[in-house]
Amino acid sequence: QETVSAVVIDGYPDRAMWVREFTNFFTPEVDRRLAEAGDYEMSWQENYGGSIVKPRGVLEGIQLGLGDIGIVTTIFHSSKLPAQGLAGSTPFVASDARAVAKAVDEIAREYPAMQNEFAAQNQVYLATGVVLNSYQLFCSDPVNSISDLEGRKIAGAGIILRYLEGIKDVAGVRGGLTDFYNMLQTGLVDCAMLWPEAAATFNIAEVAPYMVRTDFGSVNSKTVTVNADYWNKLPDSVKDVMKAVAIDYRDHLAEITMDVASKAEADYVASGGTVTDVSAEERAAWAEAMPNIAQEWVTIQNDNGEDGTAMLASYLGKLEAAGFVGVRDWTQQ
Amino acid sequence: MTPIEIGLISVVAIVFLIYSGVYIPVALGMVSFVSIWLMRDNFTLALNLLKVAVGDSAMEYSFATIPLFTFMGLIVSKAGLGRDIYEVMTMRFRKVKGGIGMATVGANAVFAAVTGSSIASASVFTKVSVPQMIAQDYNPRFAVGVVAGSSVLGMIIPPSAMLIIYSFVAEQSVGSMFLAGVIPGIMLAVAYVAAIWFMGRYTPNFVGGRVVDDTEWMTPAEIASKTLPTLGLITVVLGGIYTGWLSAVEAGATGALVALVIALVRRSMSVKAFWDALLETGHITAAILFLITAASIYSRMLGMAGLPNQLQDLLAGNSASFWMIMLLYVLLMLFLGTLLDTASIILIVVPLFLPLVEAMDMSLIWFGIITVVGAEIGLLTPPLGISCFVIKSTINDDRISLKDVFMGALPFAFVMLIVLFILIEFPILSLALL
Amino acid sequence: MLKSALAGLSRVANTIAIAANAAGTLAVLGLVVILNVDVVARGVFSAPLKGTYEIVQLSVVLIVFLQLADVVRVDRLTRSDGFLNVVHNRRPKMAANMRRIINAVSAIFMGLIAYIMFPEFLKMWETQDYFGVPGLFTAPWWPIKLVIASGCALSCVIFTLKVITAQDRPHLVRAPEHDEPET
Ligand code: NA
Ligand code: NA
Repeated sequence: QETVSAVVIDGYPDRAMWVREFTNFFTPEVDRRLAEAGDYEMSWQENYGGSIVKPRGVLEGIQLGLGDIGIVTTIFHSSKLPAQGLAGSTPFVASDARAVAKAVDEIAREYPAMQNEFAAQNQVYLATGVVLNSYQLFCSDPVNSISDLEGRKIAGAGIILRYLEGIKDVAGVRGGLTDFYNMLQTGLVDCAMLWPEAAATFNIAEVAPYMVRTDFGSVNSKTVTVNADYWNKLPDSVKDVMKAVAIDYRDHLAEITMDVASKAEADYVASGGTVTDVSAEERAAWAEAMPNIAQEWVTIQNDNGEDGTAMLASYLGKLEAAGFVGVRDWTQQ
Repeated sequence: MTPIEIGLISVVAIVFLIYSGVYIPVALGMVSFVSIWLMRDNFTLALNLLKVAVGDSAMEYSFATIPLFTFMGLIVSKAGLGRDIYEVMTMRFRKVKGGIGMATVGANAVFAAVTGSSIASASVFTKVSVPQMIAQDYNPRFAVGVVAGSSVLGMIIPPSAMLIIYSFVAEQSVGSMFLAGVIPGIMLAVAYVAAIWFMGRYTPNFVGGRVVDDTEWMTPAEIASKTLPTLGLITVVLGGIYTGWLSAVEAGATGALVALVIALVRRSMSVKAFWDALLETGHITAAILFLITAASIYSRMLGMAGLPNQLQDLLAGNSASFWMIMLLYVLLMLFLGTLLDTASIILIVVPLFLPLVEAMDMSLIWFGIITVVGAEIGLLTPPLGISCFVIKSTINDDRISLKDVFMGALPFAFVMLIVLFILIEFPILSLALL
Repeated sequence: MLKSALAGLSRVANTIAIAANAAGTLAVLGLVVILNVDVVARGVFSAPLKGTYEIVQLSVVLIVFLQLADVVRVDRLTRSDGFLNVVHNRRPKMAANMRRIINAVSAIFMGLIAYIMFPEFLKMWETQDYFGVPGLFTAPWWPIKLVIASGCALSCVIFTLKVITAQDRPHLVRAPEHDEPET
């Protein structure tokens, strides 16, 4: 039996769900399957929580070999990993982590775009992780219809802020998860865009007791990658086990995400929050008023020599097959 | 050699090099670089770690607090706000034995709420307070001691460069660290006042001084014009952070702007002084952030060596008690405090002890206050005590030697130590405002 | 001949350091301005600036690495020179040699950073990689890498000149700029 060592890195601490599950699910599962075959065994060295890299530094850390395997938070790297923005660029389609994780992951395997992006960073794509069920809107005052949001200040981060371009006179205020509570409490913003699990963690119900079920959708943000030089030296049987476990890890994370989300939403209501549903017409009107950010994504892909048009169509087709049809057809200009 | 051994040797090597006078960031960066190279037997990897650390360490939004609060503090001292507060305070404390000393402490505590550095406090109050005390026959040692001791408040009461530095290393919110510093800072000020009263009562010779019977009272308008600018600035900065209207970074920028406006209205700032303050801000920012960048190389090296985890296992294996660890921590800080500046102490000890504190389930915010207060004792202890040096070089009086400054500061360092132990025992003192 | 060449090189390096320093200083001022504009725009006009966060991140790097060489020039990089001063009083020659060694090591360190950062600049220039969110605010990476690389390279040159000319004098504490104006 031969021992293969692997240095695993993430900048987030081991209490983060995807890190915890990497330790509790990914590594033991790889160990178990290798033990069945009996040729190799792994020696894992796990470095989390900024001990080698910060959350933003994982991509570069894997590229340069500071870690062999890592969990890259892709939303930090819209320039190096534009294709990874697929789910974020197609809002109002699917609020289900399992479906989105599977669809994005299949696009990554069927089209070269995502693998090429990671290859340019000297790494090999293993699997997509989705760790939130759907972005929703959490407001300090009741919101009965979307038009109530006009002229309000709404906090969010990253591409999510662009969804606000569909509402008249809304000011998007940039803020991180840890800032939202304060921003809402002081009235600096009227609403914040986050997902139920984060809302429960940061006691958002205390300051924003009105959740509007906008169902912006699930977004992929975690990708497991392997340093290319390390990968090339791995025995084929170990590669196969890792590839297979990565897919299981993808589904495992998505399952947990959905469980956690429904519990978080129940907690939100239990601690005084109310949930308002939004009609399909209103969501459609919002989506229609937005710039077509999915087509912007397609253009970037096409300019990079990838088949963005086909990727988008195929992605939406996969979601439709899983039972999720968006309120706006993003493939149309 | 195992990685742990290399890691341990590297820590010793860093301390040795720093004590021999190597620039601290260079010592941290070079030794860490060589350690990783040896540890992994891979030169390119060591270079790559250097690249990642330098590339992403400086690129941090909350780092902007450092130039902003530094700039605000410089403008505020140039605008003479420290002197004003001092004048109002002395009027109130004249009749008490050691009263002018208490006034200095009080003025320092208020001034501390608008400046981020102890150096600014030390130099301002050496100028406004020491000559007055000596004129009233106070013991020169006591006079400089009071200024040295209370200058420390500048970096405990927020805003504070040291609280900011800690919040980077431990990944805590700058705003929370600031709020946590308020009660301990006030406590230390009160402890100083009590100590001065105690010294006036039991060691009157050390204090000296005579009671003054001049009755020059200020008019309410005068008092208002001398205190309102400072109080306004405190309200904007701490109020902005406390209510959540401003992030710590924004509070720094707004505070800097308000300080500038105050300086302009009072016509107490020339263009040259303004430009100097900007230049100085840049120098301090570059020096501190380059140090932080180097320290991040060091802490990544420790992470690769697995040293913090080993330390954790070792102490857990020996079932080390809470107080044993804390005592060890305080001793280490006092030792490093003999020769190092506060920022370097924080950057060296925190990465070593952080996992330990996390494992004990203690609040990292509380730990930050302990760290900053403990590391700042070093400002007052020989042979290198920055506050004492600043006082000596500002005072420009041959009758007061550096030794006098250190001797005068000693009782105050001792008071700090007592307060430190109280803060360790009662974490609520640091956490109550959060 | 060599001496005047060195002096000339020194003068050029110092001038560049001072110029970079002034640029970094303006970045401090820019930081104050942009943050205040953003606070007012957000609070009063409900229209926060886009990209403040990224600009702040960018300016921090600019301030640090534009100023670094000047910090080195005026010998204000953090150090604890108590022991060096003791040695200086007893054996000035030895202290001077220690300073030379220290400056040489520092030059190597700065050189290493410049050496690994410069290719990074070239890469970012070629790929035109950016940070931020497309459609909201983006800024290219290359100026950041360029400033880091050249700031460290300049610091390396200044340290090297200090080794050659041995003009690095001990001081106790330098904090005259904290003085209040004489009134
Ligand atoms: Na302060
Ligand atoms: Na000391």
